[in-house]
Amino acid sequence: MLRKLIWPLIVLLVAVAARAQPQDSAETFKSLDEDVQALKKEVLDLNRELFVLEEDLLFPANTQVAVFVSMDVGEFFALDSVTLKLDNKEVANYLYTEREAQALLKGGVHRLYVGNLKAGEHELIALFTGQGPNGRDYRRGATIKLEKGVGAKYIELKISDRASKAQPEFIVKEWE
Amino acid sequence: MAAAPRDTLDATQAARVRSRSRAGLKARLSSKIAIALAASLAAAVGNAREAKVPEQRPVIGTPQVVKDLHWGDVLFYFYQGDYLQALTRLGAAQHYGRLEHHAVEAELLKGGLYLSLGQHEEAGRIFDALLDENVPLDVRNRAWFYLAKVWYQRDYLERAAEALSSIRGALPGDLEPERHLLEAQVLMYLDRYDEAIRVLERWQPAGDGSDPWSQYARFNIGVALVRKGRLDDAAKLLDEVGRSEAPTEELAALKDKANLALGFAWLKADRPADAKAVLQRVRLEGPQSNKALLAVGWADSAEERFTAALAPWLELRGRDVLDAAVQESYLAVPYAYAQLNANQKAVEQYLFAIETFEQESKRIDESIAAIRSGGLLDALVSNDRGEKVGWYWQLKSLPDAPVTRYLYHLLATHEFQEGLKNYRDLKLMERNLAAWSLSVSAFEDMVDARRRAYELRLPKLEHALDTVDLDALEARKNDLESRVKLIEREQDAAALATARELEQWHKLERIEQVLTRADQSDPLVQEMREKTRLLRGRLLWDFNASYKARLWRERKELRELEVAYKEARRRWVLVERAREEYPARTEEFAARVKNLRPKIDSLSTRLAAAAEAHNRYLADIAIKELEAQKERLASYSLQARFALASIYDRAASAGGGAE
Repeated sequence: MLRKLIWPLIVLLVAVAARAQPQDSAETFKSLDEDVQALKKEVLDLNRELFVLEEDLLFPANTQVAVFVSMDVGEFFALDSVTLKLDNKEVANYLYTEREAQALLKGGVHRLYVGNLKAGEHELIALFTGQGPNGRDYRRGATIKLEKGVGAKYIELKISDRASKAQPEFIVKEWE
Repeated sequence: MAAAPRDTLDATQAARVRSRSRAGLKARLSSKIAIALAASLAAAVGNAREAKVPEQRPVIGTPQVVKDLHWGDVLFYFYQGDYLQALTRLGAAQHYGRLEHHAVEAELLKGGLYLSLGQHEEAGRIFDALLDENVPLDVRNRAWFYLAKVWYQRDYLERAAEALSSIRGALPGDLEPERHLLEAQVLMYLDRYDEAIRVLERWQPAGDGSDPWSQYARFNIGVALVRKGRLDDAAKLLDEVGRSEAPTEELAALKDKANLALGFAWLKADRPADAKAVLQRVRLEGPQSNKALLAVGWADSAEERFTAALAPWLELRGRDVLDAAVQESYLAVPYAYAQLNANQKAVEQYLFAIETFEQESKRIDESIAAIRSGGLLDALVSNDRGEKVGWYWQLKSLPDAPVTRYLYHLLATHEFQEGLKNYRDLKLMERNLAAWSLSVSAFEDMVDARRRAYELRLPKLEHALDTVDLDALEARKNDLESRVKLIEREQDAAALATARELEQWHKLERIEQVLTRADQSDPLVQEMREKTRLLRGRLLWDFNASYKARLWRERKELRELEVAYKEARRRWVLVERAREEYPARTEEFAARVKNLRPKIDSLSTRLAAAAEAHNRYLADIAIKELEAQKERLASYSLQARFALASIYDRAASAGGGAE
């Protein structure tokens, strides 16, 4: 008789336990989750603070120069890498992953290089490699003489498609 | 071991058991079906919660045209799913005021990024501040929708419902059906079934209703109707899903779930024939197949067709014993044999079941011990190489380790996945801070370099500042201006003569003086006077002819002088200010850098503690799950022993051994 009673009893206990457990654990989870969210917020804020400090300290506005890479359409050019020379010295050599190239095509702009330059005239050379029309290897360079003033200088290296010639086009644009 | 049950039952007990066993069999079968049904229905409803496409959609405020380079920089990381970087850069760009053309979009994206990082409080605050009447309705609606999604994911159901009710009009594209589905699910989990049903009934999906969202909705409302006891209405919907075309794995899985849920519902309603018909539609190799096979057997069994019942149950016997349905088949097979009076086989199978359950129970003990010794979460995230934080992340595959082997069901649950995501995010953030920690040394070096550079440059700087007399320069400039004005007023063309012209002019004046004192009657003197007059006239002619051009040039040069002077003054002020401010700025940097290390260290410690708390919490629920599995195995084992005793008892009463 006792054995016959044990089974339903166990089922009942399991059912009660099963019922009680989610409520308790949901409360524990919420409390843990709230702690984690608060902590994450602090880490996110610290990241911003560090990022700003890094720029203030290492690349002050009056000497800062930053070079950005952007891309549109990409029908005639699939970007592999960009090499950057400033005053004949190589300062960046970046190989793009597929994911990064896709981000560029969606409208993302990659800050390829940030550094410091004295006021005055400088020369920037950018070398693009990738797949050109018909999947052929493609290398193209672009040069710009830039005048560095007192404020930060931003250069955009823009890769766009020139449909009329079925060729990619490399445009260098200065931003103030 | 085989004799154990018999030894524990005396004749009286055996007689009692025998007298009740037949009457009890049917009742036990019903109760067993009821238990299985409850579990399966719970699973079906649980699965309904998983019935969402976890596909990533663009968050609010994704723009098409980049008007600020730094906005593009944010998007570069956003489009790669690197929300931590995107948010960091967005915050920095806002700090520097570099998102002038994208101010509203930036705030919206920031809200979206906070959502993506599970920061619903922060996201909510941003949306609250931003979503007023000045923001386009479409953007506001999407913001509320995503907010609702995160609150739902984090189990803040009331807030999710509130956010959904803030949506006005329709959402674009696929978001609209998803919103209805979400709303229905939120209401279902708030136990507001009638409202959930009304939401889904109100929503008429476009087209023929064969789109995935509509199928999910039908499934969900079907399950809700079963819970409300409205079986005929539920059957209509679940049957539609169960018969639908399923071109994708996702829909095929949903179709299986619908058939399974309906099958169990029919079984519960004591309509085994109807149950079998729908259960047989479940794919034989799909994730629901074990439950379906078990239930098909119960359907046959309910109609006392035990030979037929054996077919699906024996099929289950060959499957993975970790699955609850497979475990139950270990009891079901001997039960059928016993019903067919194949008692010898039944005894063998019961004994085999008891042994298997014991072995499994020992393995579960090993798993529990492994989890207690730590390392559950590390085993789970060990294969994860991703560097992206966020709530879209999901554990895709499970490592085959002692700690995870029995946790497939648990690991698929929403709660566990959320906890795991938090744990993973905490670990990623620990690594992120460790990387920054290395930069702090570079910052300290940079501050020192600033101090040294200033000390080196200071003497030169002071010399330059001291020797430049800008006031004297200004006085000279003002003097020049006055002179040009005077020349202009008096039309003094000679005043603008070149040095050579002036020399000629003075020479002529000297000659004229000499000639004045000479004998005026001398024809030579007269001739000389005439020549000097002509030369003077010529010079005056030249002065007058070039006067305007010369005056213009003088004015231009004055203007240039003015510009140059102002620039010199500006630079002087800048240098002077730099001399005063540079050391203060360096010390300000030093203070900022000095605070970093303790801050990073403290946060790292807290991150590690929070990760550990998650580890403990998830280990706890994993152990509870395993203990529940052990209890289930123990109860199965008990049933097997009870049934064995019953068979032995019958055999003893019949006066012979088992068959």
